[in-house]
Amino acid sequence: MISIEVLAQVILGGVLIGGLYALVAFGLSLIYGVVKILNFSHGTLLSIGGVLASTIYATWGLSPWLISLLMTPLFFAYGYLFFKYLLEPLSKRNHFESTVGTVLITVGALLIMSDLTAKFAGSTQKNINLQFDTFEIAGVIISTTQIIILIGIILLTLGLHYFLKLTWFGRAVKAVTQDPIGAKLCGVNSGKIKATTFAFGSATVFLASILYVLSFPVDPYIGFGLTVKAFTIIILGGIGNLPGALIAGIFIGVAEGLTGLFWKPEWAPALSVILLLVILIIFPQGFQKSK
Amino acid sequence: MSVVTMCFLGLSFNSYAKLGSCNDPILLGTTISETGPFSTLADKWRKMTEVFAEEMNKTGGVFVKNCNKKIPIKFVIYDDQSVPATAVSLYEKMATVDNVDFFVGPDWSSMGGPVPPLADKHQIPMVMANVASPSVYDRGLKYIWGTPYPVVPRWSERYFDMLATVDPKPKTIYFITHDNPVTKGITGYWSKKAEAQGIKVIGEDLFAQDTKDFTALLAKVRAAKPDIIYISSFDGPSVSLVQQIRKMKIKVMDVHHSFLSGALYKQVGDDIQGMTGELPWYPGVKGDYSEFVEAVLNKSNVSMFDYPFSLGRIGAYLTMTQAIEKAGAVDRELVKNALFKGTFKSPAGNIVFDERGFPNNGAFTVQMQKGGQVIVVWPKEAATGKLIWPSPSWQ
Repeated sequence: MISIEVLAQVILGGVLIGGLYALVAFGLSLIYGVVKILNFSHGTLLSIGGVLASTIYATWGLSPWLISLLMTPLFFAYGYLFFKYLLEPLSKRNHFESTVGTVLITVGALLIMSDLTAKFAGSTQKNINLQFDTFEIAGVIISTTQIIILIGIILLTLGLHYFLKLTWFGRAVKAVTQDPIGAKLCGVNSGKIKATTFAFGSATVFLASILYVLSFPVDPYIGFGLTVKAFTIIILGGIGNLPGALIAGIFIGVAEGLTGLFWKPEWAPALSVILLLVILIIFPQGFQKSK
Repeated sequence: MSVVTMCFLGLSFNSYAKLGSCNDPILLGTTISETGPFSTLADKWRKMTEVFAEEMNKTGGVFVKNCNKKIPIKFVIYDDQSVPATAVSLYEKMATVDNVDFFVGPDWSSMGGPVPPLADKHQIPMVMANVASPSVYDRGLKYIWGTPYPVVPRWSERYFDMLATVDPKPKTIYFITHDNPVTKGITGYWSKKAEAQGIKVIGEDLFAQDTKDFTALLAKVRAAKPDIIYISSFDGPSVSLVQQIRKMKIKVMDVHHSFLSGALYKQVGDDIQGMTGELPWYPGVKGDYSEFVEAVLNKSNVSMFDYPFSLGRIGAYLTMTQAIEKAGAVDRELVKNALFKGTFKSPAGNIVFDERGFPNNGAFTVQMQKGGQVIVVWPKEAATGKLIWPSPSWQ
């Protein structure tokens, strides 16, 4: 018989990891919505960001927040240049070549980035294991780190949501997502918006990586699994819909936890793939209302 | 490139190694997991292997009676990237292109499935290193042997001997197992032993390689209140598990890890303190070849605690060189006969093969104490420090 405390503990854990999955999905969702490219190396950016942040923390003892401030612009620049010089030229090709080309480039980037990171930083797992207090409320263990991460997830989600809703850049992103030609006619430089969105997505995944390594270890090779989870989340939550992605992420996180609790823990990581297949068959348009 | 050049290159490859020659070095072919998930356990072994050859060749190499002289050894080394399919293609290459005399390696039970049939196919004796699952040896293959330390049936023998003597006595145990053939084999074997010893197994859970969030699993463990948590896992996959056991304030007499190593300590940090585990051998314990092995480890900068499976590797090299010496010829069939049910010397005691090529190697029980210090706590006569029981760090 599973007690309420155990169930509450599992749900709390599921919300936490689900929120982190959602943060990975935000960038991917934005990129797909605007650029229409499935970036297979997106999750790998989280693993590389996590390895980098952990290495900087272990070497120089910088606070994770300072690391975020220093590294986020670098990931933004990486995303911008990656799009500008590797992906944008493919848009001049025909549809087939462009599609195959983007898959090859993003999968190639995934492999190269993982191996280079392993070569220079090692393939062992790394994280920022802050030794904060842990306290118990009604039999449920909650750590200060978990609270910090939850607050981080909420702030980042709200921040991104309102940034995209209230700023000119956000409206331009929406315009390019909905009608690229119409946006161009209204004076939106869609090429620049696409590159900036790609860069923005890369920067958000670095912020996600900081929150991720505060709780879980990363190695250079975990990225692809996270990308698959992010795909599931954007299909569930809807492309470009950040609150939807957050709810979908939490749904997957909690479902994984409950799988481990009521069935077998070894099946939990595969759950997102199973969910993805089920959703594609039963709800081909995801859980969002069809328009 | 012209056909003539291609033919010339082909000829030069064939002339690279002459099987059974008294004038050429003995070629030992191996793969090492220098990259990929197992690299944390093996990334210094290329250097260690090269140093082994240097040290062996200092005195001329291996004495071969038929040649009436010592012949130096030479390794052909490739990185199998921790991928079984890559290892298979590399052993095929070593058999057909490099023309190695013998195989020494690979490691890990996941490689122990697909690679050994190649040894039989090419009739090349293969002394595998860290392949500990008995099932690998149960397939009737005639050309394979292995030198893992410890083997599954002796993995936690000394730990359970120790548990029989501690006070307070543990009554319950919970097994958490990484989904891998060797770790599942360890749990399968030692959960039965625990029951036979009167320690009730109150839970067994598997976790996948990619699992990062162990909340659900640990919530169950916490509710079950076991006296001992037995983690049967490689170092990497269990990093998050060990950290979360701490964060969830799980109180037990002991947390035992089947692969307690320096690599795990580097990844987990002080959260590992107080845990017990196994160590195949450590410098200072005197035995056959102990000075030779210490020299190899020192010169290649390999610590037994950081790389606890190094003795399995070196054991494979020692076994093969002794088998060649016993055979008296660089001859695959004679070496195969020398290996069959043979006994070979190693620093941790004799390696005795059964008819399947499976050895009898055991391990010491260690406890991680303050500041990352590893203490051998069992057997008593080999102990380098006192066991702290129940471990205060888990109370």
